[in-house]
Amino acid sequence: MSYKRLGQEDLNYLKSIINDSERILYGDDINEDYSHDELGDTVSYPDVVVKVTSTEEVSKIMKYAYENNIPVTPRGSGTGLVGSSVAIEHGIMLDTTLMNHILELDESNLTVTVEPGVLLMELSAYVEERDLFYPPDPGEKSATIGGNISTNAGGMRAVKYGVTRDYVRGLEVVLPDGRVVEFGGKVVKNSTGYAMKDLMIGSEGTLGIITKAILKLLPLPKKAISLLIPFPSLEKAIGTVPLIIKSKSIPTAIEFMQREVIIDAEKYLGKKFPDNSADAYLLLKFDGNSTEEIENAYDSVARICLEQGAIDILISDTTEREESIWKARGAFLEAIKGSTTYMDEVDVVVPRSSVNEMVEYIHNLYKEVNIRIKSFGHAGDGNLHAYILKDDLSEEEWERRMKAAMDKIYAKARDLNGQVSGEHGIGYAKKPYLMEAIDPTVVGIMSGIKRAFDPKSILNPHKIWQ
Amino acid sequence: MAKLVVNQDKVGNIDELISICPFGALEEKNGELQINGACKMCKLCVKKGPKGAIEYVEDEVVSIDKSLWKGIAVYVDHIDGVIHPVTYELIGKARELAAKINHPVYAIMMGSNISSQCHELLHYNVDKVFVYDHEKLERFKMEPYTAVFEDFVNTVKPTVILVGATPIGRQLAPRLATRLRTGLTADCTILDIKENTDLVQIRPAFGGNIMAQIITPNNRPQMATVRYKVMNAPERNPYETGEIIQCDIAPEKLDSRVDVLDIIPKEKEQFIEAADVLVVAGRGIKKPEDLGMLQELADLLGGQLACTRPMAEAGWMEAKRQVGLSGRTVRPKLIITCGVSGAVQFTAGMNNSEQIIAINKDESAPIFKTAHYGLIGDLYEIIPNLINQIKAGKGVI
Amino acid sequence: MNILVCIKQVPGTNKVEVDPVTGVLKRNGVESKMNPYDLYAIETALRIREKTGGTITVITMGPPQSAAVLREAFAMGVDHGALISDRKFGGADVLATSYTISQGVKLLGNFDLILCGKQTTDGDTAQVGPEISEYLNIPSVSNVSRIVEVQDDGLVIAMDMTTDIEVVKIQFPCLLSVDKDIFMPRLPSYIKKQATKDREIKVITLNDLEDKDEKHYGLNGSPTQVERIFPPDANTHQEIWNGSSMELTDQLYKKLRELKFV
Repeated sequence: MSYKRLGQEDLNYLKSIINDSERILYGDDINEDYSHDELGDTVSYPDVVVKVTSTEEVSKIMKYAYENNIPVTPRGSGTGLVGSSVAIEHGIMLDTTLMNHILELDESNLTVTVEPGVLLMELSAYVEERDLFYPPDPGEKSATIGGNISTNAGGMRAVKYGVTRDYVRGLEVVLPDGRVVEFGGKVVKNSTGYAMKDLMIGSEGTLGIITKAILKLLPLPKKAISLLIPFPSLEKAIGTVPLIIKSKSIPTAIEFMQREVIIDAEKYLGKKFPDNSADAYLLLKFDGNSTEEIENAYDSVARICLEQGAIDILISDTTEREESIWKARGAFLEAIKGSTTYMDEVDVVVPRSSVNEMVEYIHNLYKEVNIRIKSFGHAGDGNLHAYILKDDLSEEEWERRMKAAMDKIYAKARDLNGQVSGEHGIGYAKKPYLMEAIDPTVVGIMSGIKRAFDPKSILNPHKIWQ
Repeated sequence: MAKLVVNQDKVGNIDELISICPFGALEEKNGELQINGACKMCKLCVKKGPKGAIEYVEDEVVSIDKSLWKGIAVYVDHIDGVIHPVTYELIGKARELAAKINHPVYAIMMGSNISSQCHELLHYNVDKVFVYDHEKLERFKMEPYTAVFEDFVNTVKPTVILVGATPIGRQLAPRLATRLRTGLTADCTILDIKENTDLVQIRPAFGGNIMAQIITPNNRPQMATVRYKVMNAPERNPYETGEIIQCDIAPEKLDSRVDVLDIIPKEKEQFIEAADVLVVAGRGIKKPEDLGMLQELADLLGGQLACTRPMAEAGWMEAKRQVGLSGRTVRPKLIITCGVSGAVQFTAGMNNSEQIIAINKDESAPIFKTAHYGLIGDLYEIIPNLINQIKAGKGVI
Repeated sequence: MNILVCIKQVPGTNKVEVDPVTGVLKRNGVESKMNPYDLYAIETALRIREKTGGTITVITMGPPQSAAVLREAFAMGVDHGALISDRKFGGADVLATSYTISQGVKLLGNFDLILCGKQTTDGDTAQVGPEISEYLNIPSVSNVSRIVEVQDDGLVIAMDMTTDIEVVKIQFPCLLSVDKDIFMPRLPSYIKKQATKDREIKVITLNDLEDKDEKHYGLNGSPTQVERIFPPDANTHQEIWNGSSMELTDQLYKKLRELKFV
């Protein structure tokens, strides 16, 4: 597919729509940040960055781009990890961060309507101030809601509350040719034809541009307590996870972590973790409306853990204690980054019953491929983050061993009936692994859907399956 | 003697009365209203409950003769004769209070070989400086220092004693207050005095979320501690006024069950979370060498250098110096951001700082929405100028 | 070694408000917790006991509900707990509080070491520790940032004096107020919590104390009186300065002086 490179006349047209020089960046004005996302290994500059402020602007730009065969890449905060928001074919980058208004809080329907550039942390602060709760809780709080919807982001609370998809009621979308459509709405139930809004969720900006979202809210739980559970070994810790899930008690989060990652975080933060005496830990969080209610809820889980060989169950029930644990948990990624020269990540997800097998496989993999791998993550939802570390390997050795490790991890995930990505998406970087895992028939259907939305394929080319 | 008395026949709706108490100190037992150990004597139940249900009964208090106590005394905080500047700030406040009630201002200094240092105090309009010079008083030790202070109070009988809320003052003042069986109000931010010599003390509580006004109506002396940099120091007089009074104390009163073994200079705080002052380098810094001037400014202000995410990612500064959501959350007394645009990622990690000063060329930079003082200008001109002014002010240039 | 730790129950959050009508703190519905600074004192006690053996007792003064913080201390590994509670202690200021606690301590027996947190998060005075030590006539040190050595007759500790660290030897019996971060406090243990569920808590009332004179306690024994409480001024002030670099520098320098940073 060949696209038109942006020329002066195109720029002039964009300026006539936007009419604000500070919102159009081109040439040297385009900051280096716009050439990559958070992980940074996919690099390509757009020809122009347009900071849009309204659906109307988006619509006009798309119409023009469509007519002139100019590729368009939507982008929020650029916190992705797979290159979804990198302009591989250059062209126009639509930056939605100025569309950051919370448009309506509907307390009768328990919904909030937002523009796509609202940050996750702004949204949660806004609703929690009003005793409401937006449960999706991905680690990167400065991501935009638009980006969260585009990757169907998950996060720590997925065990109990599900993922972003479960909280999107309706979307306003600008199609590649500039037409504006609405999918879904404020309704709780909806059996009205194809689930168009669900097609949009997780489509990583390849089908349309999200310009408005209606999100579902819950009443805010009044209290949360975490349990930090030390185990003598990773096997024992992770082996307990399927039993906890089977016990029908529902924590909001089940995370696992190993001592070495904790020690990395202690170094990084310059602050001690409340306990680092054990080899491996499970970290469980429970929420509810009172301490008593939560204590009743976790009692059976505590017993299961002790039966499975937990050394103790440590209780975190105040803001200071929660902070000492979760601040460290939140710093794991940065801490691991800080412990090596470069790293790559996998975001596989397997059925929860197999999570122990997957974790142990990754844990022992370094013996086979001779490369340092660290992992931690959302044991409770089967979504694992493993980080493959370059350390002082030469470029060639790194490429070779990293590739070997990746191939083995994805192959193992396939064996266990897992999927390539749990929450980060496929984007550009994980495409090869998706292609290995997916049935060609399904790729055919994806291709048909893409054609129905975007016959000229100008929206975010080269992403996911393309 | 004051107490709360419950008149059961006037209680009426018992649950309504119970709900008045914010501390849960009212409860029902065998159909009667009772007051439990949670009571704070706030008297809200007296004011808001049915008339006469709960009465505040007070016996006649034997009042003290306040005229026997005269003078505002300031504790001279020092280590090895180096006087802590909070001392001068307190002298300034003491003079102001003393003028209102026409009392003298005293200073009390204890230590070893301090006879020359105590002369400095006479440049600040202190009427009398009481000096206890003894080798056993060389370093601060709780027991001998308390004994000396007690001796001073018993001899001089000041109505007010002001102590700096330094590591020494915060230990010494409560020990002394207890020995004198009098009140002590910590960390006052505002002090005033009534005609009857009652000291009006205002201090923050609950981490600064509320302010309380406190008096010591029937005890003397009245004691307060004040933090450094809260009050204003007076100008130094070129000449001396007032007098120095050398005092003696029986050496056996100077025994201590604490011995100083070693004094180790403290390492500079390693972590930016602990710093009172932060200077933050943002993308407006053009090359790594330019960080030097920001470091110099941070040093002059007794603070540390921090940075934004792009600076850390570019490897110009260590990750542990990064402020923001993916870095550290800081809450210093002063933060000066230099060439920082103010992405939410950054401001979420510092917007609770007490004073936020932002320097940026771009007047539309979002940092100006967060800053208390926003300077639209070139940091490459402002920072070197500022460094020169601070040095000149300190007499370095 | 016989160690005592003084602890307090405080509101779960510092975000308290003053009722504009009554001038009283709005506390309804606010959960309580152990004063966070006291956790460091408990942790210090536990670490010392690991080396020397002995027992740890925690004591608190407050309403009957504050027994919860004693139970929490049990779940961290503390051996005994005592609650000083009597409505006649109501309205106590620092001096009366310290006196009441020192009376309670005398009742409990002889301790080699008494530990306190740096301060509480509600009163913020940092005075109760030193005041108790005076009533008990034992030496005390505040700002303890490190336990250097536990000796037979005393402790070698580091005292943080802002510009330098003083290493001092203090003789038993003594009282220490420990700094935040002296040790990372451990979390309460579920196993210990279950095991100490029914452990007895000694309740101390005025009648149990050596000095039973009501005048020495509560509001009556308090030299200081709170005349009023009020909300602080919020720092919402914002200014934008324009001008030449020199003007801006002058203005900034003046501001830094005014704020006392130079």
